[in-house]
Amino acid sequence: MSLVRRACLPLILVLIGVLALAAGCTGTGSADDYPAWNLTLAGDQERVLTHPELRALPAAEGYGYSVSTVGIKYGPNRYRGVLLADLIEMAGGAGTDDLIYVSAEDGYLWVFDRDQVNGKEFFTFDENLREVTPPPLRVILAYEQDGKPLAYEDGGPLRLVVISENSDVITEGSSWVKWVDRIEVHRK
Amino acid sequence: MNRSPALAVLVLAVFAASAGCTDTGSERTTLMVIPAGSLLAPLEDVEAAFESQHPEIDVRIEGHGSIQAIRQVTDLGREVDVVLVADASLIPDMMYLPMSEGEGNYTDWYVPFAGNEVVVAYTGRSAGADEITAENWYRVLSRPGVRVGFSNPMLDACGYRAIMVTALAEEHYGEPGLFEAVIGGSFNPPITAVRTDGITTIALPERMRPADEKVAVRDGSIYLLSLLDAGGIDYAFEYRSVAEEHGLRWIDLPPPINLGSAEHADDYRRVHVNLGFQRFRSIGSERIGQPIVYAMTVPRNAPHPDEARMFVDFVLDAFREGKAGWPDPVRPDPEAATVYHATD
Repeated sequence: MSLVRRACLPLILVLIGVLALAAGCTGTGSADDYPAWNLTLAGDQERVLTHPELRALPAAEGYGYSVSTVGIKYGPNRYRGVLLADLIEMAGGAGTDDLIYVSAEDGYLWVFDRDQVNGKEFFTFDENLREVTPPPLRVILAYEQDGKPLAYEDGGPLRLVVISENSDVITEGSSWVKWVDRIEVHRK
Repeated sequence: MNRSPALAVLVLAVFAASAGCTDTGSERTTLMVIPAGSLLAPLEDVEAAFESQHPEIDVRIEGHGSIQAIRQVTDLGREVDVVLVADASLIPDMMYLPMSEGEGNYTDWYVPFAGNEVVVAYTGRSAGADEITAENWYRVLSRPGVRVGFSNPMLDACGYRAIMVTALAEEHYGEPGLFEAVIGGSFNPPITAVRTDGITTIALPERMRPADEKVAVRDGSIYLLSLLDAGGIDYAFEYRSVAEEHGLRWIDLPPPINLGSAEHADDYRRVHVNLGFQRFRSIGSERIGQPIVYAMTVPRNAPHPDEARMFVDFVLDAFREGKAGWPDPVRPDPEAATVYHATD
């Protein structure tokens, strides 16, 4: 029996490899894997960043885990993207009372204040959806999930994600805007 | 043991598993049902009963806020069999519209099946729990040390309904300043209820972020319930069915303000809430008070329209019988169930 197992092992590994490849389980995506997608940054001036230009900016990584308004949990996943705070700086910065409008291709809009841009004033939950004291959080415009280009069905190519260093920190999904195509600073 | 048969079995097993062939229920029709959050608990019961009568159908339930439930069909183009919302008016407003793909509207009808009302939910540990009554509730909630929670009006119909109820209470009880004492004064700048030509309008800020600890705003009802349990708030504006389902205490509010009475529809219509921004391109940001009515429809592009209609009929029957912790049936007689068509 053990002989048979030893003999089968290489074949099993090959099979697993083939299935993993078919399921897209390997490695990070190449540039060709990212779809064409532009982000409009509107602040003091308006500018358009292409997806490659966004990916060339300094990146931040962390765990993201969200929950819907009715308690459905999504995650945790590992995300990589550009800090929202960096993008706001590129748009000319935001004052204390300014608001950040993040909108999406599907007509969704969510509004953040400056504290949130810097990862503050979010509510966080444990696995049982009990509120817990928030650890340090950051907000990124994510383009990568678990080492792969963020899929359209997951809100890609660009999605706002609240990340932390811990995989068990859950944040409210209302901030996780999918399919982001415009970020706008509203002066107060 | 020969190597080839073992390998053949392994390969077959792997491919069978990857193809989903091990799922004994693969012959069942999957019915995609998207309800509003406050219907999730009742629909779990309905799902179990329906599947026991129709073992060939697998009901999949995915809860969302009412507007998001509809958007799964309209803006997001998903194939959904039944949509159930906590605000009947959303269906004609958002679905009596031409489909982006295909012919006809997303739907041309809906059927109301239940109603609800806003109550003030609390626990035995809430500040003032031993003295609050249906007569003095607004005075208890007005106290500076009493913490009040409601869900975010941007995200949850119960949230803007909490605002409406509090504004209606100010007029009903003849207590100027009540709205600011319970909710408005906890924001900077304060949120005010402005009366002009018999209409009370409350304009909300873009960010519903209270400036003090008296008021708590959360994304949805379940988070308020969790806060109540933990003692983070003393009172929460909730639907009666939700308070009952979770075993909470609650104060019934008078019909002229609780948004639960069709007879008071004209009173309710006099309160308008302007949300801080237009969250969805597909629906405006003004909400006008009206009785809370749950309704459902089958989208025109539902993949299983016949099974969906069976489910709709089943829901109507189930809600007619009712149960503790469920929204109340709209009408006691199922024969009186009214289907509203686009031409009505």
